[in-house]
Amino acid sequence: MSQNGEESEEVHLPPVLKASVHDVRYFAALLRGVNFVNRATVTITKTGFVVVVEEARTLLATAYIFADIFDEYTYNSESPAAPQDSQNSEPEEEDNSAFEIPLNTLIECLNIFGTAGSSGSAAGAGAATGKYKKWKRGGDDSDQEGDDDDAHGRRSSNGTGGNKSIDHYFGNAADKGTGMRMTYAGSGFPLTLLIAEDAAGPTTTCEITTYEAEANLQLPFEPDRMVLKIILKSSWLRDALSELDPSCDKLTFIGNPPPAVINGKQRQQPRLANGTPMLRIQAAGTFGSTEMDYPNDRDVLETFECTRPVTFSYRFGHISRTLRALQSSTKTSLRIDDEGLLSLQFLMPSPKAKAEAAADAFIEFRCLPLDDELV
Amino acid sequence: MRFRASIENADTFFRIIQAVEKLQKKCIMKFSEDVMYIICNSEANEGGIQVWSQIKVDSLFTSYRIQSNASNVITMALSSEALLATLKSASTSSKSAYETEEIVMKLAKKNDQAVLSFEISGMTRQGRKVRVAHDVKIEVMKPADVANLKEPMCPEPDVHIILPPLQKLRPIVERLRPMSDFLGVRANNNGRLQLSIRTDTVNVDTEWKNCKNTNRASTASQDSEPDRDPDELFSVLVSTKSFFKFLNSHVVSTTTIACICRDHCMILYVYVGDLADAGGVLTFYIPGQLIDE
Repeated sequence: MSQNGEESEEVHLPPVLKASVHDVRYFAALLRGVNFVNRATVTITKTGFVVVVEEARTLLATAYIFADIFDEYTYNSESPAAPQDSQNSEPEEEDNSAFEIPLNTLIECLNIFGTAGSSGSAAGAGAATGKYKKWKRGGDDSDQEGDDDDAHGRRSSNGTGGNKSIDHYFGNAADKGTGMRMTYAGSGFPLTLLIAEDAAGPTTTCEITTYEAEANLQLPFEPDRMVLKIILKSSWLRDALSELDPSCDKLTFIGNPPPAVINGKQRQQPRLANGTPMLRIQAAGTFGSTEMDYPNDRDVLETFECTRPVTFSYRFGHISRTLRALQSSTKTSLRIDDEGLLSLQFLMPSPKAKAEAAADAFIEFRCLPLDDELV
Repeated sequence: MRFRASIENADTFFRIIQAVEKLQKKCIMKFSEDVMYIICNSEANEGGIQVWSQIKVDSLFTSYRIQSNASNVITMALSSEALLATLKSASTSSKSAYETEEIVMKLAKKNDQAVLSFEISGMTRQGRKVRVAHDVKIEVMKPADVANLKEPMCPEPDVHIILPPLQKLRPIVERLRPMSDFLGVRANNNGRLQLSIRTDTVNVDTEWKNCKNTNRASTASQDSEPDRDPDELFSVLVSTKSFFKFLNSHVVSTTTIACICRDHCMILYVYVGDLADAGGVLTFYIPGQLIDE
């Protein structure tokens, strides 16, 4: 009833977006993962929405939030003439609505009752093993399609596996979260949120101004130019990055092709025969430098593909932007192409109990290397 | 001028000063024969918030004795920070090394400096007796200056409403604080309360229904026009920071009644102890802000 404001609009046109969820924590955690610059571009499509944030024309963070994390999700195209083909590989041609929004404000609004704080992700972190086997195994599709395939792949794997941790269920039921209903009437209208904790408590209505979307930085990652690909448990990377001193200014990833497998034994060796590491993370700052080597162990590096020796450096300030997303994710895919473009994808486990329906959302960071390090 | 009392309820006293200290580092305390007044009325306060509180002497003190030429009233200005530190060491809730047995507060003069001296005697866990003394420097105020202390004048409020628990309000206002300097507070005589902000980027309205309306029993006049529409909302715009500072009193509050004088000010009565058997009340005055919405 507090929505009186846009009720009149709905008479003329159905709102472009209508979504509701009974617990905003997962949604808030996904947004928080890319919340390092206040202005975010939100693109709404039939299958969910994409939140893009960029910094310094170098770092691009994207959160893919699928429609099925919401209890209700309705998208009505703003331009009815547009083709309803969401499989188009060019995002510009997709049927979508895009706007810019102050992301921090959106998150603060979701957390207005102080109940959207921690997501159920902590519970998910421990229960990751063996669940997301299908994630990015293909890796050869172009990216836009890859995302779609992934969603389907995971859906089916979840369905057959049926091994969602029981923690998810209890974690969800134990503490009641904040429910939300979100509407977006269309270009020029604010994003309206209706937030309530329970029926007896207060209700909050937020109208967040939306701005016309500006073209974002495009950093396409061509799979056939990929020179390094690693899939590992997020905690392995998180522990490494959080170990580093914040005063570091440069972070270098060094990868070397693994030795040819003769028998299983070689895989256990942290270094190659000539002493070069398979994967090394090296950080340098004013006060010194840190080197961390990963062993080539299936338990650590689930996938390790490296076609030739690579060394690329990035600003530590940019890489550390990923920490928040990393913290709530279970699995990370790290890829680097021949020009040093870094792509980090973080799988964000969904806390939903109904495993069949929920596709796990993910957050992707792409970062350009420091120029002087081009090899 | 003589003044001496035992502090019976150090925890409550501590929490009252805790709420006051967040607002103003110096405060005025006025002791009369049966009431203790705490006054924060500095002009420099954020958004012009003031506190005028009355605490019944019986609810905090025992063996209370006071004598002065100004009809047995003593008014002093002191540092609320120092008083808070003193009470913290006296309060049993703090993790002190000893159990407090008795706290005596008295007026004294040390090296020509008037002080409020606190003598805390207690027992350590090993069973040894401890005595801790704190002296809080004070400045006894002249009766002429005291006479100049005036509570803000307010018109008869348009609406009285019992606020939801302040612990619930606080996180909400905490989120709103960075978004806007001004907070709109609206209420009607039908149990509805709204907090809202309006900025270029966001409008946020939080609404409670089913709050209780009251007319303060003691002063309530029967002249509240019955033909007034109970659904009419009365609003006042206050400084968000001031309102947040008022919410610091959640540590001591049980019931809080908010009164709105439309576009003029907001008065908040924070009851210490039960409403029926209130040991005291902290009264916050938050002036309304005038900006073009």
